[in-house]
Amino acid sequence: MPALTVADAERFLFAEARLLDERRFEEWEALFTEDAVYWLPIDPTLDPAQAVAIIYDDRKRLHERVYRLTRTPVLDQNPPSRTLRLVSNVEVTPLADGEAAVDCRQLIAEMRPGGPGQQGLNTPRLFPAHCHYRLRHLDGAWKIALKKVVLLTADEPQYNLSFIP
Amino acid sequence: MAVREEALGRYAELVADDPREFRVHGSVYTDPALFDVEMRAIFERTWVYVGHESEVPAPGDYKTVLVGTQPLIVTRHEDGRIYALYNRCRHRGAVVCRQERGHSNFFRCRYHNWVYANNGDLIGMAQSTGYPDDFDRSRYGLVPAPRFENYRGLLFVSLAADGPSFDEHIAPVRRYIEYWLGRSPAEAVEVSLPPHRYEYPGNWKLQAENGTDGYHGNYVHLSWQRVLALAREATVEESQHYRQSGSARGLAGGHGLLERPGSLNPNSSWTARMMHRYPDYDAAMRRRFTDEELVQISARRNIFVFPNLFLFETHFRVIVPKAVDRTEVQLYVYALRDVPDAINQGRFRGHERFFGPAGFGTPDDIEIFTEVQSGVRARGEEWLLLNRGQHRERIENGEWVGHTTDEAPQRALYRQWRRLMAEA
Repeated sequence: MPALTVADAERFLFAEARLLDERRFEEWEALFTEDAVYWLPIDPTLDPAQAVAIIYDDRKRLHERVYRLTRTPVLDQNPPSRTLRLVSNVEVTPLADGEAAVDCRQLIAEMRPGGPGQQGLNTPRLFPAHCHYRLRHLDGAWKIALKKVVLLTADEPQYNLSFIP
Repeated sequence: MAVREEALGRYAELVADDPREFRVHGSVYTDPALFDVEMRAIFERTWVYVGHESEVPAPGDYKTVLVGTQPLIVTRHEDGRIYALYNRCRHRGAVVCRQERGHSNFFRCRYHNWVYANNGDLIGMAQSTGYPDDFDRSRYGLVPAPRFENYRGLLFVSLAADGPSFDEHIAPVRRYIEYWLGRSPAEAVEVSLPPHRYEYPGNWKLQAENGTDGYHGNYVHLSWQRVLALAREATVEESQHYRQSGSARGLAGGHGLLERPGSLNPNSSWTARMMHRYPDYDAAMRRRFTDEELVQISARRNIFVFPNLFLFETHFRVIVPKAVDRTEVQLYVYALRDVPDAINQGRFRGHERFFGPAGFGTPDDIEIFTEVQSGVRARGEEWLLLNRGQHRERIENGEWVGHTTDEAPQRALYRQWRRLMAEA
């Protein structure tokens, strides 16, 4: 099994950011392992079994999320969000069993365009976040077994977070 | 129409309680001066929900809240009792607590070190020799909310010393709150912190109206219904049919509810399904309640307690008005006490699926709030219609009962709003 270098991890994260920014959500979903978890905690120190999170998706729930965004008449993403993600401060820690932990910082800029005077539209928002991934090498490629996004404002009130943070 | 100018000081006229065409004026969502009056005439007059006792389980635990725009501390003292105190030092007016919640055995003003106990008593100040020997500390404690009530763990304050008692305020909705508590065989819930929080650029009443609105679901939440179909939990047709069942009720005092029928059939109600799945839960529930009570308990209800609280199946929903066009909403998920852990964990995950800022339902509702807030500025016609079902509603035991898609709860809300604003 190849060791994951920081350069490898950056290539992976940049590609993931591009898929999300280009709203290629089904391709993004395919990056996840079958037992993956996608987690946006409100308080990252709490056990998700004991507390609600903003998002705590298993693979089935993640599929529902992507399906809802791409195949249903969703109001909160019509007009859709434009996003622009900067990925930085990438650190890699090798783990046992063909896995690697990747920590990074992301700055997600988001805006939904619309007509004049529309509340909630035309207003850029910034989401700085600490992101933690657990990647697993499977069939010659790295897959996401865990993606945990801790927003700087995780415990503050949020407007629509239905674009994928 | 010149209502806007004439209405200053005459806010009651912004609700037209017409027997055929109940209307509210658009300025109730947009007028900043009216918002200030609402805070005083409604939030500082009537009973306002400030939290659940399980948020402050131990002496020293506290949370800070806004009642309207008024800052309060809700805290448990070493005597075991909960106190609601204005968050304001008696000396020079600084807040004595800056955190959202935590644990502290006293509150210290950082300006000149005046220190207060959790019951509000002033227990010391820096360089106290600067005050005469007869300085009476007992007169300078943190000011308590004039009235405070712990109703079955739900904490309410009234910032007015007079006015209807808590019992009078809650009486019209009391039996529904008790059915809601009854899904726990201990008839008790425990809040799981932290809450979901969301904020939208719109008026607070948009959330208050929407939580008991049974008309929008099949349109605003079509994408949710499609997800349920994907998961093979219900076809879209089944979801839409379900949303036609039950009733919408407007209660005295501004309260209201949206109700789906109860049942002991595991295919027809969540409570019956859980009882069927977990024999311990079934036994505990049957020991505590009769079949008749269980049917009532198993009815699914969104209960609105005027002016700032909803009781939902999974959460307390607290409305925090911040400005005429800015509102925060807090969803406090709770565990049902004395039920299998698996039931509560399922409730948490089920809650996240629909509710909260990244759920599959809440963001669609928020989107609509912003669309109303954007639209009501238009002055071509300034009135909104809340007359759906007026011709077919009936009065039962003092409740206005309508078809599940009717606006009976919203009319009840605005009748109470009108009553309180008329006194402004």
